[in-house]
Amino acid sequence: MKHVQWIVTAAATAFACHFAAYYDTPIDRALPLIGVVLVFVAWAFEDVAVLVAVPALMVAEIAVADEGARLVALGGIVAVAVGYPVSRLPGSEEHRVAGPPGHRATALVVASLILLRWIPTPDYTAREVALILIAIAITWVLGRTPFAVAVAVLAALATPAVPLRTLALPLLVLFVATLARLFGMPRLRLALPSAIVLAFALVFFAWSGIVARAFPYFLKMPRPVAGKYLVNGALAASQSATLDVPDGALALIVSGANVPRLRHGAALGVIQPGNIAVRIGDAADWGYLRREQFYGSHNPLPRDPVGKLRGYGYEAWIDGAGRVPLPQGARTIRVIADAHLPPGASLQVEGFEIVRR
Amino acid sequence: MMGMPSLSTILALLALPLVVLRRGTLAACYGAYFAIALFAAILWRRFPDFDPYLGFVAAAVLALTAFSLFLACGTEVRWSANRAALIAAIVYAAAIPAMLRTPIDGDEPFYLLVTESIVHDRDLDLANQYRTLDQSASGRTDLVPQLGDPVGKHGEQYSRHEPLLPLLMAPGYLIARLPGAVAVIALFGVLLVRSTVRWMEDEGVSEAAARAVFPLFAFGPPVLFYATRIWPEVPAAFFYVETLRGIRNRRPQRWVPAMIALVSLKLRFVLLAVGCLVVWLTSARVNWRRVAIVAAIIAIPLFLGYLATGNAILAHSWRELIPAGNVRGIAGLIADGMSGIAFRAPFYLIALFAITRWRSVPRGFRDGILASLLYILYLSPRPEWFGGWAPPLRYIVFLAPVLALGAAAVWERVSRGAIALIDAWTVGLVIHGVAYPWRLFHIPNGESSIGEWLSAQYHADFSRLFPSFIRMNAAAWIGLIAVIAFVLVLIPRRKIDLAIPLFALALGLGFRTGPQPAGHVEFEDAHVMHEGGELYPPYYTVLRVAYRGGWVLEAPDSLSFLAYEGPWTLDYISGPGAIIELGGRAYHVPATDRYASIKVVVPKGERVTLRCLSGSINVDRMTHD
Repeated sequence: MKHVQWIVTAAATAFACHFAAYYDTPIDRALPLIGVVLVFVAWAFEDVAVLVAVPALMVAEIAVADEGARLVALGGIVAVAVGYPVSRLPGSEEHRVAGPPGHRATALVVASLILLRWIPTPDYTAREVALILIAIAITWVLGRTPFAVAVAVLAALATPAVPLRTLALPLLVLFVATLARLFGMPRLRLALPSAIVLAFALVFFAWSGIVARAFPYFLKMPRPVAGKYLVNGALAASQSATLDVPDGALALIVSGANVPRLRHGAALGVIQPGNIAVRIGDAADWGYLRREQFYGSHNPLPRDPVGKLRGYGYEAWIDGAGRVPLPQGARTIRVIADAHLPPGASLQVEGFEIVRR
Repeated sequence: MMGMPSLSTILALLALPLVVLRRGTLAACYGAYFAIALFAAILWRRFPDFDPYLGFVAAAVLALTAFSLFLACGTEVRWSANRAALIAAIVYAAAIPAMLRTPIDGDEPFYLLVTESIVHDRDLDLANQYRTLDQSASGRTDLVPQLGDPVGKHGEQYSRHEPLLPLLMAPGYLIARLPGAVAVIALFGVLLVRSTVRWMEDEGVSEAAARAVFPLFAFGPPVLFYATRIWPEVPAAFFYVETLRGIRNRRPQRWVPAMIALVSLKLRFVLLAVGCLVVWLTSARVNWRRVAIVAAIIAIPLFLGYLATGNAILAHSWRELIPAGNVRGIAGLIADGMSGIAFRAPFYLIALFAITRWRSVPRGFRDGILASLLYILYLSPRPEWFGGWAPPLRYIVFLAPVLALGAAAVWERVSRGAIALIDAWTVGLVIHGVAYPWRLFHIPNGESSIGEWLSAQYHADFSRLFPSFIRMNAAAWIGLIAVIAFVLVLIPRRKIDLAIPLFALALGLGFRTGPQPAGHVEFEDAHVMHEGGELYPPYYTVLRVAYRGGWVLEAPDSLSFLAYEGPWTLDYISGPGAIIELGGRAYHVPATDRYASIKVVVPKGERVTLRCLSGSINVDRMTHD
């Protein structure tokens, strides 16, 4: 009888969320799926109170018009709905007393990974399923505690799964966890830190790809470009361009092309006068955070990133543009690409950031 | 600007767990605080343009919610009525600055003026107070005597409000002016909390239930909003509880003074006193001595009234004692979108469920409800039931402790899903009320805060989906049935708990229905896009609810709205007459000295524009034929 309740609840939730879905992003369209995932978590914990997240999701969808705020609001609700049950998973003591409710930890891992990696629908379904299975294995090996869930989810989240060999990362975690347990590592609970870490990933689940591949991005204060004066120039090694600085210019916006393998600090070019160096770290390869390109990249997130947030879910990424300060009082600047740029690489001068008048 | 209140709020939140939580529960509560603070900081960095005050209030209320959850569910909790009172004192002290962000409103400044008159002039004549409003701590220089304020033989300007509350506030005012006066009310709130928790203990309510119910009662609407503002309702609630407790414990030295104070706060509470006396009279074998005491208690105030004014019933008439037999008021008290329990204090729906378990609930609850029946039955047919210009549920705040007792008594029999829904809704109401205290006041125009906001956001009539018994709409009786169904079917704990999914389904269906054109358009409503013209009568008109209202258009003013294709009836009033254009067709509207109707046709297409081409017209409403 109790299963009937959850099946009816899942159906009603899906319909309700379908009616409430108003906006057109893949996350908004996936509201019914998100609702059903939360029902799944509530079912696993047999806790109807978790379901209150469903109307909360609907209210956020209805009430918050701004896309960024809305998706974070959805993420916050999901984070509480999943993070709270994570903190309730028992530790080793409770296991001995009450027996391990393994399906709960499994449900949390599956729910988290569906939210983080399956919206929008992934292109590589078999790999994603394999990843979930590996994550479940990690959870079981580590004792189905909050810590186990967090490690499993984070290992899976950090795995691009493209190319296929990146699946070695969660397998390595599984191997290390198995060894650690064999050598007597106790079941660590660490409920609060685990819940916080998992909740952080889930708050930004609408851009989980960025959480996975450019973690500090969401800890930085956003400084959107005030206004842009387009240049759109690409300078190959040793090439240069002389640019008139427009009135009210604040900074130069640059990125790299075909430079994903350069490491932090590698020179991209220089701005004259002032001999201002442009390095990897000030800017990055334009597409290095794409899921397909991330594996081979060594670029870090630019110090002052101005890249546009693109895509949703695990496919989300930002381009590698960064701000570089302009020489004080210069009316004309000369941008020179570094002579040691690899073949085919270039320094892209996207434009000037200007004060909007 | 936010510095000091923020710091005091943070300190208050940090102090709360120390009062009642211990060891593991205390640590877990602080852990939850840490998590909330961490995420609030991250989101604050990510959304620097987001209203920081709203964000802070939301984080503080969520932290209070987390504390309340640990208080309710924690294993290491030290609980007593005194600790509950201390917690309430801390929370009210932190909430007062938030409530005083904007000038006090409604009857509040008038109570304060009387206090100032008592303190400075030792009299109740407010004439000099009105002349020197710039010196008043109310911060209101726009005050004029209220409608019906008595004027003395020598031009004295009195307030129609009873002077006991100002008298009680005088010491607080002397210490800290306006905040001091509000602190006195908060002190009554603290006493109310203590008395209510003690009452629960007297009535055999389990500690777990009392702990769970306490935050919803003390920190939820309406008690929170009345304990931190200047109204007589919270002191009245305290005196009502003391009266009921005194009667229960057979301590006349307690309940007689409490009852006198209750009636002295507001004359309308005499109906409660009568109810309490009937309860007392019937609580044991009736004898002549008891009847004589009741007769004396009723006769003495009437005699005093006669001596003071020459009329025993003051400004009232005996005709008012004839019940009007109007169920609309009671229905509105329960289900109205603007001022009903279901929307403004949903926790008390659990008490309505407790009424359905009449035989098994504590005697105190039954006595409290029975004693209040006379008051409610006389109040409900009158327009006062929606509270006038005051925070919601003003006229039944005194009943909150009784309802809380009922809710606590049936707590274990309530669906967890319903509790979660009610909790979430209450948290939302508290955030909204604390962040925007001026929005606690809503003009009774038939719209609710949520409906109005959604209508403005989507330019569609969402207000029609919220029951209104102030301006009766189609959702009113349906809403009442839905609320009754919620109380009878979804609140009781069952094997299959579908409270949340059914609520979600209703929410989703409502959201789908909202943007559709309605069969009825009120032109003053928020969903109508007004291009010029003005509201009639003006927003702050006294007893505005008594008017039909509308929107006054003069050429070239226009308004647009969603409407079905087909024939409609337009209600209007126009002194000079007008020519209007609606959906591309011109209509000559004859002059009239009273509201009249004309037939109009709405063409196919969603948004319709109504434009005044010449003359002037007050368009009231339009109904699909």
